[in-house]
Amino acid sequence: MIIKSTCKSCHGGCGVLITIKNGLITYIEGDPDHPNSHGTMCAKGLASIQHVNNPNRLKYPLKRKGKKGEGKWKRISWEEALETISGKMKEAIAEFGSNAVAIGQGTTRGYTRYTTRFVNSIGSGNRLTPGYVCFLPRVFINKAMFGGRLYSDLHGWGGEYPKTIILWAKQAEWVNDNGELSVNFLRALERAKNLIIVDPRVTALTSRATIWLNPRFGTDAALALGMLNVIMNERIHDHEFVNDWCYGFDQLKTRAKAYPPEKVAKITWIPERKIIQAARIFATDIPGTIMIGNPVEAQTNATQTLRAIMSLLAITGNIERPGSSVQWIPPPTGNIQVQFGSEIPISAENIKTLTGADKYKLICSGKGGCHPDTLFKELKEGNTKVKVMHLAGSNPLCAYANTRDVLAGILKLEFLSVADLFMSPTAEYADIVLPVAHWLEMDDIGDMPAGFVVSAVNKAVDPPGEAWPDNKIFNELGNRVAPQYWFKDIEEMLDYQLKKSKITWKQFSKRVYLASTGDKQIYYKYKTDYFRKNHGFNTDTGKIELYSTAFKKMGYDPLPYYVEPEESPYSTPELYKEFPLILSTGGRVPYYFHGQYRQIPWLRALQPYPIVQIHPDTAKIHGIEKGDWVWIETQRGRIKQKAKLFEGMDPRYVIAQSSWWYPEKRGPLHGVLESNTNVITSNEFFDPATGAPNFRALLCKIYKLGEDK
Amino acid sequence: MRKVIFYDKDKCISCYACVIACKVKNDSAPIPVCPPEPEPYGPDLINIFQFGPFMDGDRVNQFFQPASCKHCADAPCIKNCPESAIYKDTQFDITVVNRTRCIGCQTCLQVCPFGAPAFDEMGKLTLCNMCIDRLKKKLKTACEGACPAGAIKTGTDKEISIMQGRKVIEKIGKTQI
Repeated sequence: MIIKSTCKSCHGGCGVLITIKNGLITYIEGDPDHPNSHGTMCAKGLASIQHVNNPNRLKYPLKRKGKKGEGKWKRISWEEALETISGKMKEAIAEFGSNAVAIGQGTTRGYTRYTTRFVNSIGSGNRLTPGYVCFLPRVFINKAMFGGRLYSDLHGWGGEYPKTIILWAKQAEWVNDNGELSVNFLRALERAKNLIIVDPRVTALTSRATIWLNPRFGTDAALALGMLNVIMNERIHDHEFVNDWCYGFDQLKTRAKAYPPEKVAKITWIPERKIIQAARIFATDIPGTIMIGNPVEAQTNATQTLRAIMSLLAITGNIERPGSSVQWIPPPTGNIQVQFGSEIPISAENIKTLTGADKYKLICSGKGGCHPDTLFKELKEGNTKVKVMHLAGSNPLCAYANTRDVLAGILKLEFLSVADLFMSPTAEYADIVLPVAHWLEMDDIGDMPAGFVVSAVNKAVDPPGEAWPDNKIFNELGNRVAPQYWFKDIEEMLDYQLKKSKITWKQFSKRVYLASTGDKQIYYKYKTDYFRKNHGFNTDTGKIELYSTAFKKMGYDPLPYYVEPEESPYSTPELYKEFPLILSTGGRVPYYFHGQYRQIPWLRALQPYPIVQIHPDTAKIHGIEKGDWVWIETQRGRIKQKAKLFEGMDPRYVIAQSSWWYPEKRGPLHGVLESNTNVITSNEFFDPATGAPNFRALLCKIYKLGEDK
Repeated sequence: MRKVIFYDKDKCISCYACVIACKVKNDSAPIPVCPPEPEPYGPDLINIFQFGPFMDGDRVNQFFQPASCKHCADAPCIKNCPESAIYKDTQFDITVVNRTRCIGCQTCLQVCPFGAPAFDEMGKLTLCNMCIDRLKKKLKTACEGACPAGAIKTGTDKEISIMQGRKVIEKIGKTQI
C-alpha cells in the first residue's frame, strides 16, 4: 500500500510516497506529482524511516518524581497530564493574568498555527518562537515595505525565469526557510544568466557564480547600501517603476550617499570593483530576484540590513514581474496560518505587556510572539512574570542565546511541560513530558511557508506507545483551558481549517494537494485592485515604502543604515586583540536541522561530531591539525568542536556549527554545554526592532584541547 | 540496451540526499540504536568526494563528485572474480552481484579503478545495482529521484553523452567575472 503524505522533517513540505507492508514502513520516496517538490526529497526526510522507529522515542506521558533534571520519572495517564498542565495554566491565568503562561515552539512545521491559536485562545501574548531570528523579520519587513510577503518567482509561471539571482547569505541549494525548495531554485539556476553569491565562504555553487561577494560577518547592510549607492548614482534604476510605485526614493538616495563603494569596500573587505559590478548586473540584467537567508536576521543590525537588501529589489523594478519577487496568490484554502492561527484576538493590554513589547516593536507586536531572550533573562533575575511554560517541539537550551542563562531561567519556572519526540536537554528539566507523534504517524494539514500550496499529512503508521500528534495535544489542552475556541475532535478541527476551500478533511486527505500554480498566479497585482482599491500596494502610502512610514510610527529610523557589530575589529579593538578571530555560529549541514536528527544512525554516520571550519593558515598559527578537537572561546565561555581545515574563506573567520547536543550522552544536559554554540553567544545586545541577538559576528579565539591557557 | 548512471560534479551540491535515498532503498529493515559511537548501517554505495576549494584564475572553486559503481562495459571485477559472483544483467548491462557465490575475497576491490566495491557486515560485496527493479518499472533510480540538483542521470550511454555535449556548449555561453 502506498500512502501520499507531506514531509515535516523541516519546513519545506515535500510530497512523500510511503510504502507500507504489514503495518511497517518499508520505503520512502519523493512524490513526483507534488507541485512544489517534484519528487525530490532530502537526506533528513528520507532518513525519517530510521527516525520513526528509533527505540529512544518518548512513548508515554511522564511526570517528574525527583528534583528538576534528576531524571526520575513516573509514567502517568494522558488525563492526568492534561489536567495537571491545564490546571497550572488556569491557576496562573486567574492569579497573574494570561501573560503568565508562555507557549513555546520550535521552527515552523505546520503546527505553528496550533501554538498560535492556543496562545491566542488563552489570551496570552507570550508565544515563544525562534522566529525573531529566522523568517519573521523577513515577513514583517516585507509587510512594512511592500504590504505583504515576497517570494522569489522561480517557477516560470509568468513565462519568464529570473535572469539574475542573488543568494544573499543563503545556501538555497540546501535550505528552504522561505518555502522555496532547492529543486525549484536549482532548476531556475539552469536558466539564469547571472548568479551573485553573498556568502563568507565557498559553497558548492561558488564555481557557478558570476560574482562571489564575501563580506565580513555583520556588514551586509553596508554592502547593500553600497550597491544602492552605485545603482542610484549611475541612474540605472527602474525610473518608471520608482516614479510610479516607490515612496521615498530621494530620501533613500540621500542616505545611500553616505555609502560610496570605496568606503563600503573598507567596511566589508570586498574589493570595490566587485561591489560595483554586482550592482550593475543586478540593475541591468532583469528580471532578477534576491533570495535572503536567515544569517542576516541573526545579527544585531538585522532590520536595517533586510530593509537595505529589499530596497534593491524595489528600485530595480524587480517586484511583481514574472521572474522577480512576487506575492503568491494563496491556495484555495487561503492562508490557514492567519485564518486559523491568528483569528482569535488578544487584548490590547496583553499585547502591550507581553515580554519585549516595550522594546522590540516590530516582532513583539502581538503577531510575532514575545522576546525569548528577555523572557529567560527576566526569569533568571527573579522577575518571574511568566509562571507556566509549555513547549512543543522546542529545545530552548539549543535555540536561544547564552545557554547558561536560558537554563537558569528555565529552572526558575513554576511549571514547565514539554512535548517532544525525544528526551531533549530542555525536556529533562520539565515537570511533565508529553510524547508526540512523528509526522508519519499523524493526520494534519501541511501549510509550509511556500505560500501557494497546502498538502495533506496522512497517517502512515501508528505512533509508539501513547504518543499523540501536536494537533490533538493542543485541542485537548484547548478544550480544558479555553473550550469556546476548540473542537470536538481532530477531524472537525481540520474541516474548519479547510472551510474556505469548501472541501472536507476526508476529501482533502485523498486529494493531497491544493495549489495555486501556473495561470492561477497573476503578476503585476499592484496594477489591479488585488492588494487595495484603486491599485497600489497594501501600505499606508499605497506604494513600496523605501522610506518607511510604519517604521517611523514605531519610532525607528525610516531609512536603512549600517552599524558596526557590537563586537568587531573596529568597534572593540581592545577585545579584538584578545579574541582575534571573527566567529559565525552559522555552520550548517544539509542532513541535520538545528538540534534535530543526531539520533538517526544514517545521518549521524555522515558527521558524528560538530565541525568548526578554520582556515589552514590560521590553524597552522595555532598548531591545529585536521580533526583536532578545538576550544572556541568568547567572552562568555568556551565550547569544543572538531577542526576542519577549509581554504574557502578569509583566514580571519571561524565558522562553528550550531545547536549540537549529544542524545547518547548522559542526561540531564546530554552534552548541551559542550559543543553548543549558544553557550558562547551573547544575550546582551539585540537588534532594536526585532530583538535578534548576534549569532553571526562575534569575536573568538581558538586553541587545541589540552592547551588551555 | 546498456544503461549507465552519471553523476555531474558541476551540479552536485553535496546534500547527501542520494546517499540516504540509496540507504532507504538498499539497507534492509534498519533497526536503529541511539549512537554512542555512531554505526553506519550497510556500506555506502554512493560516496561524495570533495574537490577544492582551489584557485582557478582569481576565482575560488569547489566541486563535489558523487561516485558509485560505474557499471563498466568491460568490467575488471567481473573478469577477475574467482567465483564468478559478479555478472552483467542482460536487460540493461548492469553489473550485479550474486551474494551466494561471493566469498568476500575482495579481489574486485583490488582491480576496480574507482574503488567502488563495498562490503557488508558479512564481508560480502555490495554494489550499486542501479535500482534495477525500479528501472524495469520505468521509474527513476532512488538517487536520481531524490536529487534536487539534477546532478544524477541514468540513461543509455548515448543519451548521457549527448547531454554532456550540451553541457559544454552551455558553459561556453556563460562568462565569469
